[in-house]
Amino acid sequence: MSFLHCAPRLALACGLALGCAAAQAENWPAADWTSRPAPPSAALSALENYAFPARDEASRAGVRTDALLVIHDGQLIYERYAAPTQSTTPHLTWSMAKSLLATTMGVAYGQGRFRLDAPVAEYYPPFAAHPQVKIGHLLNWASGLDWQEGYEYAPLRSSVVAMLYTRGRSDMAAFTAAHEAAAEPGARFHYSSGDSNVLSAALKGMLGEAAYADYPWTALFEPLGIESAVWERDASGTFVGSSYAYMTARDLARVGLLMQRDGRWGERQLLPKAWVEFNRTPFANYLAQAGKADDAVPGGHWWLNAAVAGARKPWVDAPGETFAALGHWGQGLYVLPRERLVIVRYADDRDGSFQHNQLLKLAQAAFVSEVQP
Amino acid sequence: MIRRRPFSSLLLVLALSVAALAWHNRVHVQAFPGIVGAYSAKEYCSCRYVSHNPADYCAAYVEQYVPLAGFFDDAANKWVVARALGSTQTAQWLGPRQGCQLLPESAPLPAP
Repeated sequence: MSFLHCAPRLALACGLALGCAAAQAENWPAADWTSRPAPPSAALSALENYAFPARDEASRAGVRTDALLVIHDGQLIYERYAAPTQSTTPHLTWSMAKSLLATTMGVAYGQGRFRLDAPVAEYYPPFAAHPQVKIGHLLNWASGLDWQEGYEYAPLRSSVVAMLYTRGRSDMAAFTAAHEAAAEPGARFHYSSGDSNVLSAALKGMLGEAAYADYPWTALFEPLGIESAVWERDASGTFVGSSYAYMTARDLARVGLLMQRDGRWGERQLLPKAWVEFNRTPFANYLAQAGKADDAVPGGHWWLNAAVAGARKPWVDAPGETFAALGHWGQGLYVLPRERLVIVRYADDRDGSFQHNQLLKLAQAAFVSEVQP
Repeated sequence: MIRRRPFSSLLLVLALSVAALAWHNRVHVQAFPGIVGAYSAKEYCSCRYVSHNPADYCAAYVEQYVPLAGFFDDAANKWVVARALGSTQTAQWLGPRQGCQLLPESAPLPAP
């Protein structure tokens, strides 16, 4: 089901422009998405062949999509699942949780709960050990802390494995805060799940423990109609903002539509436009690493397909405005604002064969048939 | 000494290097045996009781190169115990919004 929507300023714009009728009708999901399945085509088959090859559960090799869901213009045009994942499965988002945390914080930002240039220690006292680190630095993954990300290949010294499973698990933000500085805050991008969990603990300080416990629901999930969300905490009660949020593909797509429409949900500007702009602004000191030209560019806890510092855009066949939430083992929530596309992919990719660019190239071929004006 | 006992000397140097390396990384080495049990207990618990996937799927989902020495899934109480590399770890489902969490002290594996 959907409802028509025409904000006053839009009506004014309509009065001044042609093509007004099309601009007035805007689709939003109610209890569920309106479904308008894309007709079968050779391009759609090519996408399915790429995303859903036969799965080998013994070797776990290759592209292993659990769910693929596409929203065009606020309507569900495609979805497919691989068992046991189904439309009702709250799937693990892994590091897409970081972008969900940022979007939750966007609501708090709109409520004036914090400033990007405020020291983290103002909201999270254990960060007094790192007085120069600001909230904005954490959102750019640029705290400068000496952190070892990386999962399977270097488990002994991996900070993230120790944080999630052993030494850090009871209080992940405190574990992170105990790391030493390796660089000036804001000087360099250094991907860190620890930075994200310090943000989560700082949010607790901004809100107080009581309001914090339900905040992702009251601030974000309930206004969007998301009912399947689970967000696990560490033993200190801090949401594991780096890794442990779960929801259905249909619900995650709601966050995508919110972002596609610059933080607006129906008639409500849930996130300040300036916040979404910050999410979509490349970290100023980002330099693509040699041999990693396909890596998305860090924005404000979202990932961008931006061409920065003389490098090409990471996903060459996708529009430069494309941005995404990305997670371990192939999780992805991609937003193509100009094409009005939101793509959710849940996966269990155990090797590096999946390519974001290939998925986006095939999805555009399948779903963006008409020539854009 | 080195000329008379070349192999013993080499072994001694090797043993000293390993010991020095282990000492240098002692906090990591101490925590290391807990990783596989904790990972298995936590991710199985979430796979099973948060995502509602079947038990056999979740068992395969958390499988690592290092095999588990013991595993117990208490479906009635939604808690999961996993043992590997001499370390036993427990994850507990806490609620519909909270999902699963590793317990500070592991429950023992029930006798087989």
